[in-house]
Amino acid sequence: MVERSQEDVWRLAPWLMVALLLGNFILMAFDAKVEGGERVIRAWTQTVADFVQSPVTTVTSSVSNYFGSIANLRSAQDENGGLKQQVQELQVELKQKEELAAENTRLRSMLQLKEQSKYKVLTARVIGRDPSAWFDSAIVNRGSLDGVQLNMPVVTDGGLVGRVTAVSPLTAQVDLITRDKSGLGAVIGQIGESNALGVVAGTSKKDLLEMKYVNGSTEVQIGQSVFTTGQDGIFPAGLKIGEIVNLVSGSATTPHQIQIMPAAKLGSMQEVGILLYEPPAKGQYEQKLPNAVKKN
Amino acid sequence: MEGVKLTVALIIAILLQWTLRNVWPPLTFIDFPLIIVVYAALQRNSIRAILFGTISGISMDALSGGLLGANGFSKTLVAYAISEITRRVYMDNLILRIPVIAGACFVNDLVYYGLHRLFGQTPAGDPVTTIAYSVIGTTVAGTLIYLLFQNFSGDRARARTQKRREVFAPRRQTRRRNPIRLGK
Repeated sequence: MVERSQEDVWRLAPWLMVALLLGNFILMAFDAKVEGGERVIRAWTQTVADFVQSPVTTVTSSVSNYFGSIANLRSAQDENGGLKQQVQELQVELKQKEELAAENTRLRSMLQLKEQSKYKVLTARVIGRDPSAWFDSAIVNRGSLDGVQLNMPVVTDGGLVGRVTAVSPLTAQVDLITRDKSGLGAVIGQIGESNALGVVAGTSKKDLLEMKYVNGSTEVQIGQSVFTTGQDGIFPAGLKIGEIVNLVSGSATTPHQIQIMPAAKLGSMQEVGILLYEPPAKGQYEQKLPNAVKKN
Repeated sequence: MEGVKLTVALIIAILLQWTLRNVWPPLTFIDFPLIIVVYAALQRNSIRAILFGTISGISMDALSGGLLGANGFSKTLVAYAISEITRRVYMDNLILRIPVIAGACFVNDLVYYGLHRLFGQTPAGDPVTTIAYSVIGTTVAGTLIYLLFQNFSGDRARARTQKRREVFAPRRQTRRRNPIRLGK
């Protein structure tokens, strides 16, 4: 171990600082440039962090579940009675559904319809949140070993959460739809019934999205639901994004100004579903566009 | 030995920063690695402080949605600035360290936000509110951690030894003159 004198330290420190600042600046520039690409440093740091985050999340969630279950004991008896009745009702309903399913299969085979393969859902636990107070990304305990890939959509039972932006073998980082850089194709109301199409983008405000480019002459109301259209090439169609909470009506020449409250509880989610969805391949004409992502 | 202790403290701080937000979200306003970086800078070892700043910053950025290197940049800058101030101004008193940690957190957040704006990214939330909460959280936590360090580190032990020496210091015996012989 080389012992440095105080004078050596003072002489070296400014140069070291300049070198490190430069290194950090280059990292930032590189990271800002490759927004959609694979991030190696992030992926490996996540792998290391997983060994700490997973046990901590397991312990804290089991402790909170224990206290939660004690608090819930009071209402358990009433709930039990209600649930017994509900089970009986559901059994009757199930019988009817089974008959309908059998009929459906029969009719499909008669019409020779092929089974449409939809995407699979991979459940994942949120093991970490953004360590910085400035951003809201989440880290989940599923990675490339489970089949997770970049840009796969992430949902909860409430609605759309975001997309995967970094993947390590054991974990994945999820950027939320509220982030200012996010954008997705959306429609107000059901696809096929509405022509109020637009782009939903994140804002700098937490828990609020805005919908742009919706034709001002289209009828839109507060409280209407907004769904994905699948036209962005990342998210499949029909996922619920949220509901309209604020609206400044446009005209024939100006678009509506719409604010949306996300349907998913982004601040308190504990478990999410990763859709193992691969968007349809882009057409040849899209690859020829000057700003298209070229595939090698 | 002091370096090893600080390195362990830094690793613990990074692990806390990675995990505590998932336990209780408001804890995200405490910047644990910054507290250790400032402490290292206050020990007058600029090189160690700068390296701590870069390493802790990048390890935070790697798990964050922000730009990789933004925290590394801001923490390195803060570490160097504080170590330079410490060279010139006496900062060994805990009371003096409180405004230092508050100022460091303010500058760190300001630089971090500015860098993101420079690269065309807008961090979520109101910047004034986020910076204010962050300064309050980090200053309170930092003061408590420094108190803890003072109790367990060499500073305290040295101070205790010095105090003991003062208490049991051998008194100088003044030689009395014999009053009987004074008349002679």
